[in-house]
Amino acid sequence: MQRYIYLDYCATTPVHPDVRAAMLKTLDDDFGNPSSMHSFGKTAAQIIAGARAEVALGLGCSPEEIIFTSGATESDNLALLGTMRQRQPGKAHFITTSIEHHAILHTARQLQSEGYEITILPVDQRGLLNPADVRNAIRPDTMLISVMLVNNEVGSIQPVQEIGEIARENGVLFHTDAVQAVGLLDVNVQTQNIDLLSLSAHKIYGPKGVGALFVRKGVRLAPLGFGGSQENSMRPGTENVPGIAGLGAAMHLTNQHKTGERERLARLRSKLISGLHERIPALIVNGPSNADAHVLSLSFPNADGEMMLIRLNGAGIAVSMGSACTSKDIEPSHVLTAMHMPLNQIDGTLRISFGYPTTEAEIDVLLEILPDVWHRAKNN
Amino acid sequence: MSKYRICVIGGWCGNRLVMVAEHLDELLQKAGFPCQVKSHSVWENFNQPPTSNLILQLLPAFTEAETGCPIINVRPFLIDIDHPQTMEKIFTQINHDYSTVIQL
Repeated sequence: MQRYIYLDYCATTPVHPDVRAAMLKTLDDDFGNPSSMHSFGKTAAQIIAGARAEVALGLGCSPEEIIFTSGATESDNLALLGTMRQRQPGKAHFITTSIEHHAILHTARQLQSEGYEITILPVDQRGLLNPADVRNAIRPDTMLISVMLVNNEVGSIQPVQEIGEIARENGVLFHTDAVQAVGLLDVNVQTQNIDLLSLSAHKIYGPKGVGALFVRKGVRLAPLGFGGSQENSMRPGTENVPGIAGLGAAMHLTNQHKTGERERLARLRSKLISGLHERIPALIVNGPSNADAHVLSLSFPNADGEMMLIRLNGAGIAVSMGSACTSKDIEPSHVLTAMHMPLNQIDGTLRISFGYPTTEAEIDVLLEILPDVWHRAKNN
Repeated sequence: MSKYRICVIGGWCGNRLVMVAEHLDELLQKAGFPCQVKSHSVWENFNQPPTSNLILQLLPAFTEAETGCPIINVRPFLIDIDHPQTMEKIFTQINHDYSTVIQL
């Protein structure tokens, strides 16, 4: 029988049985429209309220400060476009980093095309932003800063608390894309000085197609859509009740398990690194030494990452790589490029990411298979 | 039709793979080497490639022991489809093989 080992939890996670059960109930029994005044509607509205409370609990905010969206990309769009469009083009400045998700970088490009001014800050070779660079980039017309909490390719944890402080001192709003953080790290929007925060359900054992945006009370947003009063008119349209129920159940799970899982996954990550170093001494671990426990970026010397991916896939092991193919060329990861990594190192880079279902036995299999896969995927 | 068979092997970048195969086919025809040039994606099928006289690999998929024919690394074509040193290696190999193979 073919053995499958999934180690691409940064891409997506499987839906947890508790999440599935919560969603199925809204499909089978509690199918009402939350805006309806009868009992079916009230039940659906209560489910949404429960999910909102669970998300708020996980972030340390009030339920009224949560807006449900279709996912983190929409949350990022709403956070950036919604705040920046409160001010006139040419009179507002936005700051972000070179290693953000494309949901931020491409939205920044859109803002630029609308006449807003953008500063994209560099990171160091570990993928870390220097808070002093943020301070120096702030101008009198700076409206918003967006810095991701955990990088999805190398796991670098950005100093958001300090950046939030700098933003607050200067009267600037601070947004963080916390997609990779909420499943394992302790996130608290109060102590971390966060004004807006994006998250996604499918990265934390919830369904695809639903996410949330935390918006601190008093922060004004211009909506991206119109036609309904749902989500304080910030996200009009009948709510995705099954998805929201799933997100609530997923947040409940992470609120309960993240501390224990963070420690367990950190041990598995360390075991994999030390085991691989014994077998492949020239292996390079990318990112800072205190990277998030579930992300591991590895550069295999003189290797073709795509060929390694193909061979691992053939062996039933799913990971991802540091380059992507476009119609005309191989496009190296913008994150690894921003970390000043040479192209040949990027070519041999794999991302291995762990999740709640990851076991020590799976790490043992990977340790057994990876060295041979590397040998067979070496460039001549 | 020529009996000299070339197989270009690539991965996820199917467009690039086909572009390289078509470009080589055209160049070889013009140079007076009518070959059969095929492409083979190891993402779609990781079995052995079609039986060939020469294999050109955009990624290190197979060894010469596995394929039983010469293999040339053509990874530089991902950046430059006319990469001079790689082209030279291909033409040298074909020149070496062609007269014997074509007369089989």
